[in-house]
Amino acid sequence: MTFGAPWGLLALLALPVLVAAYFLRRKQPPRVVSALFLWRTPDLKAEAGPRFERFSRERSLLLESLAVLFATLFLADVHCGQRTQRQHVVVVVDGGLSMRAKVDGSSAAERVKTAVAALARDEHAGVMTIIESGPRPTMLAGPQLEVDRALAALEAWSPAQPAHDVTAALVMAKGSTSSTGQRVFFFTDGPLPEATTVPAEVQARSVGRVADNVALLSAQRHDEGGAATVTVRVGNFSERSREVPVTFETRGDASHLERVTLEPGATAVVRAGFKTTTPVTVSLPDDALTEDGQVTLLPSPLALVKVGFLEGLDAAAKSAVERFVAIAPSVQEATDAQLTFGPVGSTARVTLGATGATHGFVGPFFSLKGHPVFDDVQLGGVVWTAGDNQPGRPLLSMGQTVLVSETDEGVLHFNLDVAKSNVQRTVAWPVLLGNVLRLARASTPGVPRRQLMLGEDVALVTTPDAKWVLRGPGGRERPVLGVGAVTLPPLPEPGRWVLEKNGTAVDELLVLPLDPRESDLRTRGPWQVDATAAPSLASLAGGAPRAWWPVLVMLALVLADFWLTARARRPV
Amino acid sequence: MSGFDHAAVQRAAEGRRLRLPRGPHRGKLGEVRAASVGSSMELHDFRSYHPGDDLRHLDWNAVARTGELVLRVRQDEVSPRIEVLLDTSASMAVSEAKAARARELAGWLCVLARQTGLEPVLVLVGGAPRQSSGPNLLPTLATVALDGKASFSSALTRAPALRPCGLRLVVSDFLFEGEPSVVVDRLARGTSGLALVQVLDAEDVEPSGGSGARLTDAEDGTHLERLLTPDLLALYAERFTAHVGLWLAAAKRVRGSLLQVVATRSLGQLAREELAALVEVAGAGAP
Repeated sequence: MTFGAPWGLLALLALPVLVAAYFLRRKQPPRVVSALFLWRTPDLKAEAGPRFERFSRERSLLLESLAVLFATLFLADVHCGQRTQRQHVVVVVDGGLSMRAKVDGSSAAERVKTAVAALARDEHAGVMTIIESGPRPTMLAGPQLEVDRALAALEAWSPAQPAHDVTAALVMAKGSTSSTGQRVFFFTDGPLPEATTVPAEVQARSVGRVADNVALLSAQRHDEGGAATVTVRVGNFSERSREVPVTFETRGDASHLERVTLEPGATAVVRAGFKTTTPVTVSLPDDALTEDGQVTLLPSPLALVKVGFLEGLDAAAKSAVERFVAIAPSVQEATDAQLTFGPVGSTARVTLGATGATHGFVGPFFSLKGHPVFDDVQLGGVVWTAGDNQPGRPLLSMGQTVLVSETDEGVLHFNLDVAKSNVQRTVAWPVLLGNVLRLARASTPGVPRRQLMLGEDVALVTTPDAKWVLRGPGGRERPVLGVGAVTLPPLPEPGRWVLEKNGTAVDELLVLPLDPRESDLRTRGPWQVDATAAPSLASLAGGAPRAWWPVLVMLALVLADFWLTARARRPV
Repeated sequence: MSGFDHAAVQRAAEGRRLRLPRGPHRGKLGEVRAASVGSSMELHDFRSYHPGDDLRHLDWNAVARTGELVLRVRQDEVSPRIEVLLDTSASMAVSEAKAARARELAGWLCVLARQTGLEPVLVLVGGAPRQSSGPNLLPTLATVALDGKASFSSALTRAPALRPCGLRLVVSDFLFEGEPSVVVDRLARGTSGLALVQVLDAEDVEPSGGSGARLTDAEDGTHLERLLTPDLLALYAERFTAHVGLWLAAAKRVRGSLLQVVATRSLGQLAREELAALVEVAGAGAP
């Protein structure tokens, strides 16, 4: 018999109190009578006779003492039999992508699985809690899952997290322990950053091995006019110079091979162009970590934006906008436009013009810092002629005059008399309109960026009145909450993720298994750090769920005591 | 043993004698007619002569008148044996008053018996059975311990068989379980008269209430814990009355009597009132 919470045994102190109360209660005034049978109720006599009455109070004391005893057993978290010898083992496994690196025929993840199984045996684990570290720690098994089920969950584990700080996972594991001071086992494949704080209860062990690795560090694809330009950066994480063949493959097209020579620790950019609108696969020769040697890039054409002009727009203004539309990619003038330009007072999404008395301004202009309309816009040398202020939140102003404003509905008002200004003739003009176009494009539901690095935030555009879901590889689902431009935390798994609207695929994105910090296997290697805190007694039996049978027994005893005392008090 | 007021016994017995039953008595030759025929001069009956009868008892006048052998049957003059049974079980000593009154009553009955010209025998029933008579009787009463652990009923079954006697007087509280008619039958066997004197403590008759109490039986030590509520006290009174009624009915059935006394009253008061039926004033004659 062991106790998960030995402090619960303090409840036994209630026994002396109970016995004292019993003896105090016994001090009822005694009275010797000539005929006790005249006081005795007939039913009691018939059922139990005088002995029953004689010992009723002692029986009550016995029942109450037993009730206290069983309550104590419950509070002390008693466990009987073999089950009590089993422990709750808390394990943290490094979820970094580098755990997949295969050296000498086995990956670090496989060695971790073997080590955890051995640990469960050595520690007589009854239940386990397994946590995977990552930017966001996740519980692979548990809390306090049966060992077999926990190991089965670990068997299906496939680490693919970017480089991260393991502190959060260790803190989470510490919170999952059954008692203060319980040991936490941490398995990784490489050294911990110096800034990482390892709690004293953590026993860390590395199962990593040193290996050379050539990896893709980044990959980008640009599609325009049916042509795809793929740009990748290749890094050499080995101790010797390497000549690396980089293979580009398109669906239905011949592969394209580029060779680069890389010094140890050096990187190189490789670019290739294709006349294709299909995915392009870039691959390197297999090495220790194959995952970072092959990526498939989805087509990423710019979304087409339809532009229209409303009646009454100043000719100069319309001409200036049309000049930009003519050269901007993926822009088309159409009647069913999503981006409309119109005069002041119109229903256009962008109004252009000045009313009332106009004044020219040469600066300095004050713009709302960080607003995307003014990204990279340089207004030096600009003469801005404006009239009366337009409604909305000021985005650009000069003194009391609001030059650009935005309403709550997202309508942009350019208080600009194009004919009297030189804005349309400066470099600021295409940049300004390019930003407007980008905003319009960003309001199109879907995925603005289709290729994401591991650990990168996900930008999405959604619409109201619909259920948006990101469905990952293996059917893993991640709901998208929020309307409009939404930024999600990094997706937990590399691969293709499909954006669904009410169950229908709308767009897709690819999380590339690329992280330069995870690709560098030169610093990996075995090591071990023992826990500095001694394992506590409570941790030895805290694994099993608390037994409830003492509570049931206690309740039965209390009921029996109640029945006994109620009978004894009944006068007839 | 304290509680026996010898002077009070003598005062209460002064000028009184036992009222004997009208039926014939059994006992030594004396002044009281016995149930058996004998050689007393007082004519009892006539009957025909049977071989073996004493020829001296033939009524020769009747023989001469009738020509038949007629025997004159005479009744013995006996001095009846009086038995006074005292219950010495512990319940008789639940209070000093009850113990004292029980002893005094037994002594008083013995003194009355002597004053009536009878020879009393004191039988102690409760602990080890004892008998006492003669001059040791009153000293025995003064020192007898009322601490028997058996009830009067069970002690009576272990006691030697009661001898036939003229009058049997029983002093007890009669507060024990058992069938009263069985006990009374046993007490009435072989006697011409039976009187049961029930000595009760005030708490026996009307127990005081209050909070809880640990009620312990005086004899076997068993106990009960009870809240002495008015309801419970009323129930006790009801059961007590029923219990006494059973003894009363049993006594009547054998032509005996049950006299109830409460120990709080003095022996003198009891002799004048509750126990007046047992005595007659000397010189007043039988009613």
